[in-house]
Amino acid sequence: MIKRISFIVTITLFFLLHTNAGTIKVVTTLTDLKSIAEMIGGNKVSATSIATGYQNPHFVDPKPSYIISLSNADLFVTVGLDLETGWSPQLLASSRNSKIQKGSAGYVDASEGIGLLQVPTSANRGEGDIHIYGNPHYWLDPLNGKVIARNIANGLERIDLSNKTFYEANLQTFYAKIDMKMKEWQAKMQPFKGTKIIAYHNEWVYFERRFGLQVVDFMEPKPGIPPSPSQLVKVINEIKSNNIKVIISSPYFTTSSSVVVAKQTGVKVLTLATSTGAFNSVKNYFDVFDYDIDQLTAALK
Amino acid sequence: MNNQKSGYVIFKVLFLFFLFISTNIQAQIAADSTSSDSALLKQLEEQMQTNNQPAPQQARSGLSFNPDIGVIGDFQGSYISTGKKNFDMYLNETEVSLQAVVDPYARADFFLSFARNPETGEYGVEVEEGYLTTLSLPAKLQLKVGKFREAVGRINPTHPHALPFIDLPNAFVNYFGEEGLNDEGVSLSWLLPNKAFYQELVVQVTSGFTGAPAFSRSEGNHLIYLGHLKNFFTLNDNATLELGLTGITGPNDSSFTTNIGAADITYKWKPVQLNTYRSLTWQSELYFSKAKFSENNSISSFGLYSFIQYQLAKRWFAVGRYDYAQKPYNKTIKEQAYSLTAGWYATEFSKMELEAKTTDDNIASRYYQAWLRWIFVIGAHGAHQY
Repeated sequence: MIKRISFIVTITLFFLLHTNAGTIKVVTTLTDLKSIAEMIGGNKVSATSIATGYQNPHFVDPKPSYIISLSNADLFVTVGLDLETGWSPQLLASSRNSKIQKGSAGYVDASEGIGLLQVPTSANRGEGDIHIYGNPHYWLDPLNGKVIARNIANGLERIDLSNKTFYEANLQTFYAKIDMKMKEWQAKMQPFKGTKIIAYHNEWVYFERRFGLQVVDFMEPKPGIPPSPSQLVKVINEIKSNNIKVIISSPYFTTSSSVVVAKQTGVKVLTLATSTGAFNSVKNYFDVFDYDIDQLTAALK
Repeated sequence: MNNQKSGYVIFKVLFLFFLFISTNIQAQIAADSTSSDSALLKQLEEQMQTNNQPAPQQARSGLSFNPDIGVIGDFQGSYISTGKKNFDMYLNETEVSLQAVVDPYARADFFLSFARNPETGEYGVEVEEGYLTTLSLPAKLQLKVGKFREAVGRINPTHPHALPFIDLPNAFVNYFGEEGLNDEGVSLSWLLPNKAFYQELVVQVTSGFTGAPAFSRSEGNHLIYLGHLKNFFTLNDNATLELGLTGITGPNDSSFTTNIGAADITYKWKPVQLNTYRSLTWQSELYFSKAKFSENNSISSFGLYSFIQYQLAKRWFAVGRYDYAQKPYNKTIKEQAYSLTAGWYATEFSKMELEAKTTDDNIASRYYQAWLRWIFVIGAHGAHQY
């Protein structure tokens, strides 16, 4: 009996010593980074996102409960470029986790190598909430998704070199899927090249360039400043003179002012997905573009 | 038989020991052998190349090691219904913040406060806070050294400009003063290994160089000791609850000891999807004090505040607060106050608030106060605690 118990104990201890502690724990700021991390990391990672897909990524509340997951994380992935400046630095500093601090192997700035748009030549808050490093909504161009994936793969390989071939293979699969879907998306958007639209907030510049749309104005007079009556008048005139059919907004903005404009002009108000999880049907990074492009093409027809 | 048994046990222990060693040696052998070295080298080279793959297409300008610098202005106008001078206006405070990471092991935060002394009218500078925080201690510990606002519940750690009202609760001021319990010393915080909810234990030892009425610096070796347990529960996506307990003991100006116990409870509702448009906060703190003033004279006193803040729209906030306070030196003097504050938050960088307050106590007649304040920020602006 004693022999049997000690045998079981020995075997158990042997496995405890030889198996890894489990999967690599990845914490991302946004759901799109989580979605891509899951595609690259596969079953080797377990990923969580701090923000949900339907909340404003500039204004996530730094709840202490997020510190629990950060304190146990192996890899932290951030959009960077000041997008999360109001909340993620404080959470990181409180995490007591030296593995994921800026400059450590477990810190991934997904914006590394992104061709940035709207990099300001001067920093002046009189222009509203401008981002001094450039517009941070770069994940809305699927080709930038490749750069994000490369950065995440680099991060995973830094902390888990033994699975490098696995991550590299997944990365190639991801690249191939983006290339394949890109053709489909481009084909769908082709008839609407050069179409003028209005957006609520300045977060569509990467999407707009990739798919050939032209955002002529915003509901916000300046980034972060709520729509004013004079701005609505300006937008109404622009819609009438350019025969604009659509105002695009995001799940985390109220549509009341857009609805006012719609009543005056007959323009359609579309709430698009800005991130994975924005709506129930938007389950991963590819779904974001499937959803948005289907919505846009239906509205612009 | 017995010998055999113990021999078997020793064998088992040794077997386990060697098993453990062997796993470590295996790893070391792999690292030492030259053939795997060159393989590793090759791997590293490849990795470095792939790391370089997405070459930055644009130089990022403005890099420097200067700390993040911010300046916060706090302009106020005030009214009080008693006394000769009823109206006043003043630049209440100018706060300069300098914040940066020191090295891979620590960060530093300095808050310098420029303000006029209300009695002399002279401008003076003081270090409101200046501390180093470690980033890499083991066992989920974090050490803070320097001068800092201590971990008494919710109001004390918060800079006044970030509070949703202009005056501080009466009970808070009675024990900790207008500047709060803000002292020089050491703070160690431990994140408890609790996966169900957030739990943090903070222990602080400070010298007693504080302006707080309850405590003072002793002539001997009597320091101020504080312990705070913070419990934070996520009720659902939109609601959270924080419960805190604080105990403080330290020397008072009669060279005896004052003990303070405090409890705080905060409920927040903030719908995740539209968190910039609607929110509700209900926050209360209770303070119990037992102060010994001489060998046979101890006074126990009690105070509390409770407020509700409701966000009506993206930029509009309303706050109602109730204060109850017994004077720490004479508990028969009781104050009660009601206040209402309306806040207009233009952007993250400026806000205006208007507060009206009535105060009753059982020795003088009721009086009224009102304040208007305008807070404005330039430069870097760090995140506020949730």
